[in-house]
Amino acid sequence: MLAAPVDKEARDRGAEQLRETWKTPKGFRYCTAVNNSEIGKWYALSAFFFMMCAGVLGLLIRVQLAVPDNDFLSADRFNQFFTMHGSAMMFLFAVPMFEAISILLLPGFLGARDMPFPRLSAYGFWCFLIGGIFVMSSVLFGVAPNSGWFMYPPLATEAEGMGSDIWLLGLSFIEVASIAAAVELIVGVLKCRPPGMRINLMPLYAWYVLVVGGMILFAFPPLIAGDFLFELQRSFDWPFFDPERGGDPMLWQHLFWIFGHPEVYIIFLPSIAIAAMVVPTAAQRPIVGYSWIVLSAVGTGFLSFGLWVHHMFTTGLPSMSLGFFSAASEAVVIPTGIQLFAFVATLMVGRVKMSLPMLFISGALAIFTAGGLTGVMVALAPFDWQAHDTYFVVAHLHYTLFGGMVFPLMAGVYYFFPFITKKTLSKRAGRIVFWLLFVGFNVTFLPMHLTGLMGMPRRVYTYPSVMGWDLLNLISSVGAFIVAAGFVVFAIDLLRPRGRQPFAPRNPWNAGTLEWSHDVPEENWGVRSVPYITSRYPLWEQENLVERMDEGRFYLPDAPELKRETLVTTVLDAKPIQCLRVTGPTWITIVAAVFTGGAFIFPTFHWYPPAIFCGGVAIASVIYWLWTATSQIPEKGKDVRDAGLSLKLPVYASGPASVGWWGVWITMLGDATAFASLVFGFVFYWTAKPDFPPAGTEHAMLSYLALGVAALVASWASIYRARIVNHQGKVATTRTLLVAAPLLAIAGSGLFYLSVANADLDPTRHVYPAIVWAVMIWTIVHTGGGVIMQCYCLAGAVFGKVTPEHDADLWNVTLYWHFVCLTVVVAGLTIGLMPRVM
Amino acid sequence: MAKTEQDEERRTLSEEADSLWMITFAGSIWAVHFVVCYGATAAVCAKLGGDAAAIMTLRLALGGFTLLALAGIAFVGWRSWVQWDFLNDWNYEHALAGKEHRHEFLGHASFLLSIISFIGVIYVSLPVLVLETCQ
Ligand code: HEM
Ligand SMILES: [Cu+2]
Repeated sequence: MLAAPVDKEARDRGAEQLRETWKTPKGFRYCTAVNNSEIGKWYALSAFFFMMCAGVLGLLIRVQLAVPDNDFLSADRFNQFFTMHGSAMMFLFAVPMFEAISILLLPGFLGARDMPFPRLSAYGFWCFLIGGIFVMSSVLFGVAPNSGWFMYPPLATEAEGMGSDIWLLGLSFIEVASIAAAVELIVGVLKCRPPGMRINLMPLYAWYVLVVGGMILFAFPPLIAGDFLFELQRSFDWPFFDPERGGDPMLWQHLFWIFGHPEVYIIFLPSIAIAAMVVPTAAQRPIVGYSWIVLSAVGTGFLSFGLWVHHMFTTGLPSMSLGFFSAASEAVVIPTGIQLFAFVATLMVGRVKMSLPMLFISGALAIFTAGGLTGVMVALAPFDWQAHDTYFVVAHLHYTLFGGMVFPLMAGVYYFFPFITKKTLSKRAGRIVFWLLFVGFNVTFLPMHLTGLMGMPRRVYTYPSVMGWDLLNLISSVGAFIVAAGFVVFAIDLLRPRGRQPFAPRNPWNAGTLEWSHDVPEENWGVRSVPYITSRYPLWEQENLVERMDEGRFYLPDAPELKRETLVTTVLDAKPIQCLRVTGPTWITIVAAVFTGGAFIFPTFHWYPPAIFCGGVAIASVIYWLWTATSQIPEKGKDVRDAGLSLKLPVYASGPASVGWWGVWITMLGDATAFASLVFGFVFYWTAKPDFPPAGTEHAMLSYLALGVAALVASWASIYRARIVNHQGKVATTRTLLVAAPLLAIAGSGLFYLSVANADLDPTRHVYPAIVWAVMIWTIVHTGGGVIMQCYCLAGAVFGKVTPEHDADLWNVTLYWHFVCLTVVVAGLTIGLMPRVM
Repeated sequence: MAKTEQDEERRTLSEEADSLWMITFAGSIWAVHFVVCYGATAAVCAKLGGDAAAIMTLRLALGGFTLLALAGIAFVGWRSWVQWDFLNDWNYEHALAGKEHRHEFLGHASFLLSIISFIGVIYVSLPVLVLETCQ
């Protein structure tokens, strides 16, 4: 069947339909686009812009430190600059850049038309842009955060002005966007692969996306929980980190580094992933040790969570505890090493062509190895006591970041540029960029090892001349400008207009993976037809694949209804199970993002009423967007789509077969992690503080609490039951249950609230009542969200959006409520029972 | 609605349920072991201070727990070695599109992960062997 030629007329008609369906809006409606190729491009350019801003701050820091006793910057400004430099590099550049590139490339790797939730990526992008501009511009007004990128209390809690609030709220906002993108990417890898691409055939990049997405899901929530407590302290004086009233700054350090260490790997692994795509192409052969690389990636993901305390070696923790972390830190070297060895092995057995991307990869290897060696040094607790907070650490950190992130990323830009823009970057300029960066980098950071060993501390804004650090610092500053020159050349080459430049060949590196089947010149449909995959390097190993894709001989070669579609397949074996209608251009995501931004930004000025208003509008726009665009019931007779090659697929899916269900499930894993961090805080105070809970204090009222928990569990049971009876077609019972569920949830939330509010628990007095309040608030915010969702289902049932056969919304809300139910029970035990037995 | 497609997801997932669990087991054992070691030490050191007897008990208990964890990981490793079935066909690439390759790949994967977890657990427990006080 595959070999049978397709009638030319049908082929042209299909192409025309696809072109029409996937066309990008023109004019100023361009910004309503949601297609992964546009969103990815904007995302990447914004992240690059923030990187340049942060780089300028880095340069200004180096100018200040170039000579002793310099007064180019005031101490306060210097503090703002290094804080924003670090924060912006980590939150506005490194993580968003990974997500941007993945959104841009992933559908290409997977032969998919788009990501599963295009509007979610658009929403995430606009949130990122708004939040990023807000946080970054605080530098211009001299009100930027100034307590270091890790914001240690009490320095940051006590800090004057709104810098700390900007950091907490602005970056929490961006973290929400990061998590949204992570969910999207994970579901994309799991459910949107081309038919036949079993889990053992996935491109390595997809594996890394899976691992890194998972890490984001477990690493960011603790920080969000920390931000939540921190902001409660800043705004309402709840003493979570105030030792005077039972609080403990160490809790912040724990929560921050449970995020912060994996963050380093969250930055590092995607760059390794790029290397994993570049290396086999350079060697012109399949990667050596595919399983080993996959496993090392997964293993690194796991182990990196056990390392957070190595940033806290000097905080006076028991040395036995330190020992665990020191040991675990050394252990993580093993999987990291395996990945590097696999690359080297591939290069050795292949016929390497030293292309520009390969040049950057080799630079990365050299620099990263040096950074890894110093890393092993600082991971040893006794050495760390010596080098802690000196420039030695600054040197180590930049060696790993440049070697592990910036250089591989540059390799990726040069490698994938023809895929993204259909043009090539200049080879000559590329070599200049490489050498400027490589030389400049070493000139800047190599001397810092010495300055550090000679005792120069981090984060000092100036130093006296007598210490003998002068020359080394001057060299570092000169080096920084060489690096900057490299980036300027790069930016010019990247952004210059390319109208008259000829198109790049279609597969310029002769690579083997699916993204290089792309169309030149640009077509917005992703792939002309979705192929059937039987190997890891289909372009090398499956004959005539590209010709057949082009001729539309595979799946979905047309769009008769002019609706955007992509295939959904099973998680393990990629068997096609649904033809998913994906959403198109819209304003609603921008509206939602702007108002979400308001809800986060107004509180930095302590303007709560407008913040609450914005929050309300944001929720309303999200509901509108879901109602009008997701789980649409297909018309009668059009609920099955002929996808080609005699494959007939349903258009509608619910439960585990649908992408929405997986999206909820993955989001809730992250949410549960944040809640677990709050409970961790509760237990932490108990171990760390002799007076927790303080003697003679009141507790949350048991009777109310027990009733509240019971009502909420009953609400969960109703929604769960509603899903089951709805499927059996008992419409009346379903509606009754759907009315009962929100009523029970409201009653339960009220009782839960009263159990704390009616007790004599003043959250400003001591950390114990404060954390009880925090757990309570967290819980009822979730039950409140649950009420909205239950009402959404009720409305759906009444207005025919939810029927016995079409019950995706009910499945998703029930899944959400499984988690809410768990949260409610654990919260009840934590604030009701635990303090009474402690 | 086309029921068969909807059930396809559940069918393959349950077919490989064992090996999917197995992939997560070794890493999870490492994680639980880590958290227990850390949590128990923190609790004993914070609540009982430098009490030598308590620390001795802690070290013995953690030592025992470590052996348990290692045994668990070894078991997972052995099961996945069997699933990988290496000696049968000497295949460590699993680059083909068959059910068998997917199955063996999952086995290979969890085998390697158990090696890493095994080493990880040993590393984490070294301090329990050598350190005798909280400070
Ligand atoms: C031209 C390139 C760069 C220069 C000249 C530079 C310079 C510096 C300097 C001098 C510091 C120390 C500030 C102090 O302790 O007083 C610093 C800190 C830091 N840098 Fe960079 N940097 C560069 C690129 C990067 C990149 C690419 C990243 C991350 C992807 C990064 C992440 C950080 C972080 C996280 C800190 C710690 C901030 C803090 O202590 O709060 N830097 N940088
Ligand atoms: Cu670390």
